[in-house]
Amino acid sequence: MLNTSYVGRSLPTTEPVTISAESVSRFARALGLPEDAQIPPTYLISLTLPAADPLIADPDFGLDWSRVLHREQRFAYRRELRPGESVSCAATVESIKTVAGNDLLVLRTDVIGDEGVAAEVWTTLFVAGDPQ
Amino acid sequence: MTPQLEVGHTVFSTSYPVERADLARYADASGDRNPIHLDEAAAKAAGLPDVIAHGMYTMGLVSRAILEWLASAGVDARITEFSARFAKPVVVPVGGTAVAIEGKVRKVEGDTVEVAITAVSGGDKVLAPARATLTANRADA
Repeated sequence: MLNTSYVGRSLPTTEPVTISAESVSRFARALGLPEDAQIPPTYLISLTLPAADPLIADPDFGLDWSRVLHREQRFAYRRELRPGESVSCAATVESIKTVAGNDLLVLRTDVIGDEGVAAEVWTTLFVAGDPQ
Repeated sequence: MTPQLEVGHTVFSTSYPVERADLARYADASGDRNPIHLDEAAAKAAGLPDVIAHGMYTMGLVSRAILEWLASAGVDARITEFSARFAKPVVVPVGGTAVAIEGKVRKVEGDTVEVAITAVSGGDKVLAPARATLTANRADA
């Protein structure tokens, strides 16, 4: 079970990383998208998931990654990011709902670029409870 | 936007093959190397029928279907909202599988269009419809 006292807690904003053209074209290629075009819409997940690492490493939170399934994903894009831009991620534990002994964890991550928040990203994880 | 965007209209319908090598490439590109997407034994140990695709791989294929449609229809718009619920896994056996993706116009409002997208693999609806909001790019932007 997850520690519900973490709801509302924000993780430290990650150090800025530069979006490399190479990582963008590799991501595009993996999905069969043209490599010359914009950053693929789902590319942001490669930035936001590592931002949650401190939660996985935190024994008090109780998140066992081997019991996690990705349940839901939402992106709200405020403006287009471009390769070469530096971005950091600010993740917040938005909610934890317990359903039949399993937890639904919603993480909200702001992706912050050179001109402020470029996108908001919500990830819902299903965390299986202890087998009865 | 363009006049053919009427509510209820199917605007794209496509299918992509998915092989295990695709999942390995996606794992490298995304950094998500969870073994349930790469290794049959690990997937089965986790209670899954076989290797499954990353939910984000499937969502990525949905974005591809949208972007290919926009390009072929000559619609100058960008995705401003994009969501999906991973209802069932896309199971990828040794011989591979396919994901069929279909988009329907759900709402037209000003310079935005909302599209509801279904994805079917192995006879199952794998997404509890995905939604994408497309916003027309302004000519002066």
